[in-house]
Amino acid sequence: MAIITLPYRYLERLTGTDRQTIIECIPMIGADIERIEEDHMDVEFFPDRPDLYSAEGVARAMRGFLGIEEGLPVYTVSHPGIAFSVDPGLASIRPCLGSAVIRNVNLDEEAVESLMGLQEALHWAIGRGRGKVAIGVHDLDAVTPPFHYIASPRHRSFVPLDFDREMTLDEILTDHPKGRDYAHLVEGFPRFPLIVDADDQVLSFPPIINSELTRITTATKNILLDCTGTDKKAVMMAVNIICTALAEAGATIEMVTVEGEEMPTLAPAERVVSVEECASLLGLPLSPADMARLLARMRFGAEPDGDSRVRVLVPCYRADILHDWDIFEDVAIAYGIENFDAALPAISTIAEEHPTMVIARAARSVMVGLGYLEMIPFTLTNERVIYEKMQRDPLPGTLRVLHPISEEQTVVRTDLLALLLEMLQANKHRELPQRLFAIGDVVEDCITYQKVAAVSIHPAADFSEAYAVADVFCRELSLSYTVAESADPAFIDGRRGDIIVDGKIVGVFGEIHPTVLNAFDLEHPVAAFALDLRAVPGYPVPPGTPSPGGR
Amino acid sequence: MDLTLNEKRLLVALESVGSADAATLANLMGTHREAVVQYANLASERGLVDVERHISRRYILTREGRAYAGKGLPERQVFESFENEIPMRDLQAHPLAKIAIGWMRKKGWVVIRDGVVQKTGSAVPGPDEAALARLGEGGAITDGEGVADLLRRGLVEEEETVTYTVSITPRGRELLARGLDLQEEVGTLTRDQILSGAWKDLPLRRYDVTKLPKRAYPGKTHPYQRLLDEMRRVLLDMGFTEIAGGIVQSSFWNFDALFQPQDHPAREMQDTFFLGERWPLPEGYERVRDMHEHGGETSSIGWGGTWSAAKAEQCVLRTHTTSLSIQHLVEHPEPPVKAFCIGRVYRREATDPTHLAEFEQLEGVVMDEEVDFRHLLGFLKEFYRKMGFEKIRFRPGYFPYTEPSVEPEVYVDGLGWVELGGAGIFRQEVTAPFGIEHPVLAWGLGVSRVAMLRLGLRDLRHLYRSDVEWVRQMPVYGGRR
Repeated sequence: MAIITLPYRYLERLTGTDRQTIIECIPMIGADIERIEEDHMDVEFFPDRPDLYSAEGVARAMRGFLGIEEGLPVYTVSHPGIAFSVDPGLASIRPCLGSAVIRNVNLDEEAVESLMGLQEALHWAIGRGRGKVAIGVHDLDAVTPPFHYIASPRHRSFVPLDFDREMTLDEILTDHPKGRDYAHLVEGFPRFPLIVDADDQVLSFPPIINSELTRITTATKNILLDCTGTDKKAVMMAVNIICTALAEAGATIEMVTVEGEEMPTLAPAERVVSVEECASLLGLPLSPADMARLLARMRFGAEPDGDSRVRVLVPCYRADILHDWDIFEDVAIAYGIENFDAALPAISTIAEEHPTMVIARAARSVMVGLGYLEMIPFTLTNERVIYEKMQRDPLPGTLRVLHPISEEQTVVRTDLLALLLEMLQANKHRELPQRLFAIGDVVEDCITYQKVAAVSIHPAADFSEAYAVADVFCRELSLSYTVAESADPAFIDGRRGDIIVDGKIVGVFGEIHPTVLNAFDLEHPVAAFALDLRAVPGYPVPPGTPSPGGR
Repeated sequence: MDLTLNEKRLLVALESVGSADAATLANLMGTHREAVVQYANLASERGLVDVERHISRRYILTREGRAYAGKGLPERQVFESFENEIPMRDLQAHPLAKIAIGWMRKKGWVVIRDGVVQKTGSAVPGPDEAALARLGEGGAITDGEGVADLLRRGLVEEEETVTYTVSITPRGRELLARGLDLQEEVGTLTRDQILSGAWKDLPLRRYDVTKLPKRAYPGKTHPYQRLLDEMRRVLLDMGFTEIAGGIVQSSFWNFDALFQPQDHPAREMQDTFFLGERWPLPEGYERVRDMHEHGGETSSIGWGGTWSAAKAEQCVLRTHTTSLSIQHLVEHPEPPVKAFCIGRVYRREATDPTHLAEFEQLEGVVMDEEVDFRHLLGFLKEFYRKMGFEKIRFRPGYFPYTEPSVEPEVYVDGLGWVELGGAGIFRQEVTAPFGIEHPVLAWGLGVSRVAMLRLGLRDLRHLYRSDVEWVRQMPVYGGRR
């Protein structure tokens, strides 16, 4: 998430209010305060509100919320003087360009840093790591309009930011830190996107790096903004957010003509919304005037439209307004979440436990009655534990994750027994006897179902103990079963039995094989049993589990 | 005074000797020393005997020490192996030379000049050699000059023995003079003794209630399971139906059906466990596609761009139980619906004390004709109150599939306001494609957060890789409420 640094002094000046009010107000407009420091605070704003990723944007919202300045912020945009061409060759590479000229900026060190911070946060929130949108800001006075967004041969070279020598585009991708970070975004393109001026000087190699030539400093007076990307709507949203933030700080915005289109207009979008729909969603008695008043505090332009509607002008920087309900949420925030009367509706429903949970509950009570302690092992494990150490062949339906986060977590468990042996290993230093059981989900062929397993470790643990436990468990869960000698290699030959229900092996019990004990570093015999709970009468077909093979 | 039979027998044994050490008494009584000490301690609490504890130290040879006993210390052996002088090189051939040469020089027996070892003439046996000799004869000595040197050289070690002397007190003699009933006491009653009435005449052994019993460990459910069950109970009490389902979900149900845009960071492989498997899309998936592309028939503008069916077919380990909630609603479109789910969810996170790749999530949904935002807050308040959190407040929140959204916070003594879960009303972009016509209130909660608060855990991993001792010690009933 984007964490924004907000210096109090700057924010106090922009909002015209004091520090305490600011600190109290921030969580109420939707944000988490991460840290409160001497001269600033770090605040995490929600990812749907990139317009709050700058002190200027926060101040704009806060002035409304506190009633200092309400309604739609109006930004004047002067007529274009500069043109930008877009090379049709970019259509399959990085087709979209948004641009603006921002004049009379007044940048101190802090303001330069704030602008860079906003740019980075937007790269993350709207730009999806620069793939969808990449932003460049340039010192306009270092270059000569008109500008051209071109598909350039890869051997062109220029001096990238933070370097003092010319590099070819290919070199930048291998030798410049930013080049290495973002090379994957242009991988495989025959030509690379490039922005050049009238004299063919390079301004930028989007989405990778700008040229050192147009670096923004405290001396910069006029800015050329370029936003390139793959999605026109997102590109223009980035332009709007940056332009309006800088306009809040006193700059003036000038349109640029991109292939004949004059941009940005910074014009609001209009929505006519139903008061009744909002009132019933929020459970508030609202009139059109109430609603308009509340929306004005959230910096919407809003006026009653007849007696059942409100005409809303949505500021051009609001990326989160997709649906009328997004506007209704702002009504709720302006009303104050703390002012709602929490109430329980009169709905009559009769609860029902899930049938698998009913079975699990019964299974638990039997195992607890037998003196076993419950464990809740992880479901992610690896084949070494559940197959190799158990001397078992991997099940064909074992689910492997594509990009494991560690060697320990590569598959979803198909059985619980190995995980209980692992648990005994971790508890070797604890008093014996230890009797442990687990009930939980396993996955096979993408089907999730439940199993039970139990282990008992102590010097006298043997086949008879395992058989007795398996037998009483089955009887208590109304399983009519038969037993046959098992071939499960995790157990000792001649001391193992399969539990058979309706001709199918559904479980196993016996004495764990000494090789397996060695593999888990265990020093005493272990009596164990495991059972597929689907064998229990009344076990449901798992709902919500579509399966490729059908079931 | 109710003496145990063993105390009485101890007094009898002491009658003639008056005072003796525990080993002697053990012989007399036909038992072992530790038992005598135990009986004596009991009797001494009653003032019948005095028990004196002596600790004695003695020194015995170590393995290395034993090797030198009789033959002398290495320096003595080597010193005697040559006449007046010997070239260093030759002397080094002696097996003990390594140890001996240093000591000979230190003790001033030899000097080394130009590679030749020469005797100085004086080589009087020191106290260490005397001590070694005494040890060689007796096997052990209590102390004396030279022992400290041998201890430092690791040739002897200290051995501590504790002995007990028990003496009968005048009060004990008095009791003895009055005569003691030495009839055997009865521990466990037999069936015959109970049925025949013999128990009436038997001296039943009395047990000391101040001595703690052997600790017993019952079978138990896991403390975390008990917390999960408590939450299930709360929701069942509130009339919610329990749902459960698969760990494996298609991206369609995990993300797309919940209006999570296809380029959302949560859908990248860094954050979610993707699987090689694919699931066909359900019938009517086109309405979800349209919703993403342009907002379908609602007031939404959608996310724009082109929605990819292939991306939606890809399976994941469910990242939230909301994938089950939405499918439950699709299967039960008629109001009212009140359902909950507690299940494991997966995030591709490296494991550390506060982050796990899998953990439990609780989720509740309510769908009905007339429900609104106030009711969402009402359900949350009631749920948290039943979980023991009396103070709750709400802040605006953001979740991709709800609008409006809130973040509930509960007040915890010592911690202040703690964010505990998220809530909201399902977006129309989520409900409309499936023909769900009424508002759906939804809330979710990371159960492990509650577990940490309630079970006093600092490391989440202990829930899933538990110390048996911890599970044994955690009381089944915490005494809350």
